[in-house]
Amino acid sequence: MIGRLAAHRTAAPALAGLAMLLAEPAMAAPKQVVADLSNSRVEITSSYHGTELLLFGAYEGVPGDDIILVVQGPATDIIQRRKAKRAGIWVNVETKIWQQAPSFYHVFATDELSSIADERALGNATVGALSGGLSFVSGRDESSNGQGGGTSLASGAAIAGNPEQRNNLRRNMEANGLWQVLPSSIVTQQDMLFRASLSLPSNIPTGDYNVRVLHFRDGVALSERATDMKVRKAGLSALIYRFAHDYSALYGIFAIVFAVASGWLAAAAFRRK
Amino acid sequence: MYIYLPIAEVSMHIGIIIGLGGGVGFLSGLFGVGGGFLMTPLLIFFGIPPAVAVSTEANQIVASSVSGVLAHMRRGNVDFKMGAILMAGGMIGSTLGVALFSFLRDIGQIDLVIQLSYVVFLGIIGALMLTESLRTIIRSRTPGAARGKLHQHNWLHGLPLKMRFRRSKLYISAILPLGIGAFVGILAAIMGVGGGFIMVPAMIYLLGMPTSVVVGTSLFQIIFVTANVTLLQSIQTQTVDFLLAGLLLFGAVVGAQFGSRAGALLRGEQLRGLLALLVLAVCVKIGYDLVIRPEDLLSVELVR
Repeated sequence: MIGRLAAHRTAAPALAGLAMLLAEPAMAAPKQVVADLSNSRVEITSSYHGTELLLFGAYEGVPGDDIILVVQGPATDIIQRRKAKRAGIWVNVETKIWQQAPSFYHVFATDELSSIADERALGNATVGALSGGLSFVSGRDESSNGQGGGTSLASGAAIAGNPEQRNNLRRNMEANGLWQVLPSSIVTQQDMLFRASLSLPSNIPTGDYNVRVLHFRDGVALSERATDMKVRKAGLSALIYRFAHDYSALYGIFAIVFAVASGWLAAAAFRRK
Repeated sequence: MYIYLPIAEVSMHIGIIIGLGGGVGFLSGLFGVGGGFLMTPLLIFFGIPPAVAVSTEANQIVASSVSGVLAHMRRGNVDFKMGAILMAGGMIGSTLGVALFSFLRDIGQIDLVIQLSYVVFLGIIGALMLTESLRTIIRSRTPGAARGKLHQHNWLHGLPLKMRFRRSKLYISAILPLGIGAFVGILAAIMGVGGGFIMVPAMIYLLGMPTSVVVGTSLFQIIFVTANVTLLQSIQTQTVDFLLAGLLLFGAVVGAQFGSRAGALLRGEQLRGLLALLVLAVCVKIGYDLVIRPEDLLSVELVR
């Protein structure tokens, strides 16, 4: 994907960026940030228990520049439930569905996000998701009181716009390790090289991931580079998963036959002793 | 060494899986129960999604029931005719149970129903077993106490469609075992158990079957009910984790051997008393989790 100047999107930062370029002609237009992953295809085999990837790259920076790295998983619906006490026990009383939210969202940066750029600039570069933006998700309320026999649609915009609800979603997703912001997690060298270590959890969703690297200077995204990462089941775990989903009746019969055979074998072994 | 479970989509230490299988296998060998009522809550506790825990445990119980029933068949302790009627009911019940399970999962209430079923049925059965075994222990210390009747005749025995069950020495309505089979089948599908802990007392106290054929006949019908649950869950929800079931089974086979040897060292009523305490402990733990305030009132689940 071609990197672009975030400054193009709004007039004010564009002017600021232009002013900056005019003030320091020696720098001219900085070269694009380049980045690569140590492994762009993560295979979830039977021995998978999380893995570490190295993301590294080069940029043409000056002291004080920042790098932000966003690893985003495939979009999915997230069901969020709220419990309340009913007749002395805690039961789910409310269901909210967050539509097309990232199933995985880890943000790495050279500093605190808030000191790299303001929320609007982060939002323009769509890295604001966890700093308060979350503009790309919208939700829908479902009453689960068991009455009315249907789902009542509330105004999606109102839900997406409520910061408290977004914070709740963020807290839940951070608790299961799928969303994370890791400030000061990128190491830079001589304002030229950077690297970050991505720690993928064991419950990682499968699918096509998007990894974006953004080069920030004075609160403005100068350059962006995106690269793909695929997370796939592989080996025996892929085989069992595909078998279970593509030939589910046969899989069930196979599971039963296996259980009967091993039960019979176990009984036979018992008897010998 | 961790192993990634392809259907549960979580990784678990292989030692924990085999240890769970072995530990529950030991207890099931010791007490002569299937152990589903212990294994399913434990799997959920260790982070296996409830739907996967229930379906996978059904698959594992198929194996443990097969290995258990063979010994009873050799001793002629299986009433196949009664087993077939119970099984017919069980098939209907477990099919309904799987459908109910899917429905409850869709409306987000499956965890609650699983937990409530455990609290209610383990509570009742545990309390009954405890009082029964305590009474036996007390009675054995006070000689000369009178023995009650083997079983009483009530309105249940007046129902139509009477059938003769030679092995059980019974002439009762087929509706009764059919109904019991169906009821236990529903519970088996929802709770991820074989249902022996309900089936066995129901056979003794409701049907009046002789105790010698009760366990073998119960195991016989459990094979078919849990096989039905395995097949239906495989087709409808794809939640049977074959790898998890196989590893649990491996531990359970070894554990059950040691358990049954240890069981020979204890007396029947002592065993039943200990089992009752275990059942009540599981009931109290699950009940406690329902009553205390959760750490976070909100929870999320990703739609795959």
